[in-house]
Amino acid sequence: MLKINNLCAKVGDNEILKGLNLEVKPGELHAIMGPNGSGKSTLAAVLSGRDSFEVTDGSVDLDGIDLLDLEASDRAREGVFLAFQYPIEIPGVSNLNFMKAALNGKRSHQGLEPIKAKDFLAKVKECSSLVELDGQLRDRSVNEGFSGGEKKRNEIFQMAMLEPKLAILDETDSGLDIDALRVVSKGVNEMRSSDRSFIVITHYQRLLEHIIPDFVHVLSNGKIVKSGGKELALELEEKGYDWLKEPSHDTSNA
Amino acid sequence: MSVFTDKFSTTLPPPTRKSERWKYSPIAKLLNHEIAISTESAQGFNSWPESLLPNPVLNLDAYLVVFKNGIFEPTLSDLPVSDGVDCVPFSKMDQSGSLEFSNGYHHKEWIGELNETYRQDGLSLHVHRNVKVDRPIVIHHLTDGINVASFPKHLIKVDEGGELNVVIWSSATDRSSGMYNGLLEASIGPNAMFSLEKVCNEGGKVFHFSHEYIVQERDSNLKMHTFTIKGDWVRNELEIISRGKGTDSVFNGAYLPLGTEHIDNHTTMDHTSSDCTSSELYRGIMYGKSTGVFNGKVFVRPDAQKTNAFQQNTNIVSDRGSAINTKPELEIYADDVKCAHGCTVGQFDLDALFYLKSRGIDEKAAKALLVEAFLADVLSSVSSTELSTEIMSLYRERHGW
Repeated sequence: MLKINNLCAKVGDNEILKGLNLEVKPGELHAIMGPNGSGKSTLAAVLSGRDSFEVTDGSVDLDGIDLLDLEASDRAREGVFLAFQYPIEIPGVSNLNFMKAALNGKRSHQGLEPIKAKDFLAKVKECSSLVELDGQLRDRSVNEGFSGGEKKRNEIFQMAMLEPKLAILDETDSGLDIDALRVVSKGVNEMRSSDRSFIVITHYQRLLEHIIPDFVHVLSNGKIVKSGGKELALELEEKGYDWLKEPSHDTSNA
Repeated sequence: MSVFTDKFSTTLPPPTRKSERWKYSPIAKLLNHEIAISTESAQGFNSWPESLLPNPVLNLDAYLVVFKNGIFEPTLSDLPVSDGVDCVPFSKMDQSGSLEFSNGYHHKEWIGELNETYRQDGLSLHVHRNVKVDRPIVIHHLTDGINVASFPKHLIKVDEGGELNVVIWSSATDRSSGMYNGLLEASIGPNAMFSLEKVCNEGGKVFHFSHEYIVQERDSNLKMHTFTIKGDWVRNELEIISRGKGTDSVFNGAYLPLGTEHIDNHTTMDHTSSDCTSSELYRGIMYGKSTGVFNGKVFVRPDAQKTNAFQQNTNIVSDRGSAINTKPELEIYADDVKCAHGCTVGQFDLDALFYLKSRGIDEKAAKALLVEAFLADVLSSVSSTELSTEIMSLYRERHGW
């Protein structure tokens, strides 16, 4: 489904991704862990099409489509979804109008008619109950005045509405209390299916107790330096990241 | 002397950039134009351009008063005829019945003196005690011609307990040039309600000057909106005098100039009595190489205790090369008041734009959502949804959202 090959990206003169390789097959959930500044969020931003980063080398292929060639909105229409680490507040734009515009953008891309009001509301009801997002939050301006947990639940609500092929969760667990973590994880788990893949970026192992990954990768200094199964997350929790730092990085410091 | 002042002589000289009030809106270009007042008489549909309709808000069930190049068009108009509402153009009435008041603007400003000296016509509109005018009255000014000037002035009086909604809509055909100099004076009696929407949607190259002077008596309510949809050079001046206790004044505005358009909003809110509230919100987005001015004065006089005055001007500078000069001016002489003001100049929120795009909304639609959200607070208080919908759709059409 997703093939990332030798991906290099920089912001300004600062190289952040330095030849990253990753393959995600349909239905798989990959966790990407790593110390602060290793490039985790940059990877999420580059995949979703944020243009503050410059891709200098490599390719990203989603089911035969060159993702890097597409605008952010077209990537979303092709099925890429990013759950933001810090969801944006947009005063004056109602959550529902926002979702309607998003859904219809995707539908027009697929050659479908705009969704019927009745079907839309039914979908909203179903998806919001998934993350226990009550009616008031749905009807308010996008994320305006939401608590941290409400914002993250709103991200998962949007993911459920848009039914992506590839969902990237950027530190969705950060700042959550245990109840919100449980709700968000439940939402993600219910969304897992054989034709939907996930990249879950997290700094902590705790999220992976709720969302069980198929693979765990460690990102350090812009590259994946170790990959393994779910047990790798536990090992990282115990030992920290230092023992995995990229060898070339170590020798250069030696 | 200039080709303009040769034709239109006044005792006051035209303002120059040395005057603070005109510093950012120079009129030198206007003075190079050889402009003339139309000598035509009313021609009804015969000379009305095909591209426009006499009623600018088709969905709005309203009375209609149409002027073309400052000349009243009786056959295109539909004036209210009912007890308690006197609504007649000055050109159609005997002197005895017409309203008369003057704020002395013509002694203070060249623009005012021009209007006073060369005035063509205008509406005299008197709403009697406790009369509620059943439909809005749309006053439509069309400029159609090369180098034409029009000088209308409307007088409005709403007696105690009366209710009135007026829309002043100015339009111009694309070939047009010249000057529109339109004044309005209104007196809002005790406990009366007056709402006024002013919309400028002028093609061509017209210098548009307007000045509204509104006096509010005790417990009266004013809602006023100033929308600039299109206009090559526009200056809106608004003065509100709160003269009795307990008045409420809401006045909002929006402007989204393109190209090299110039838009200037000068407002004055003068609180002279106690227990009054005022709320002012102007929002603008500057595109292309457009330039703009906002100047908002709020006076709170010594007797105006317990005043609650709010003023905000928010601007987005969308493109390199566009500019806005914004200045709040508060003068407060009473000690038990609440006054808040703020002016901001910023850019489109790129994070918000990316957030919308990341959900599959294309750039154009995403910007439209953000702009509509930005304008929503200004549009939400417009007196009818027919009107606010029309205004929004004109903005949309013009900007291609």
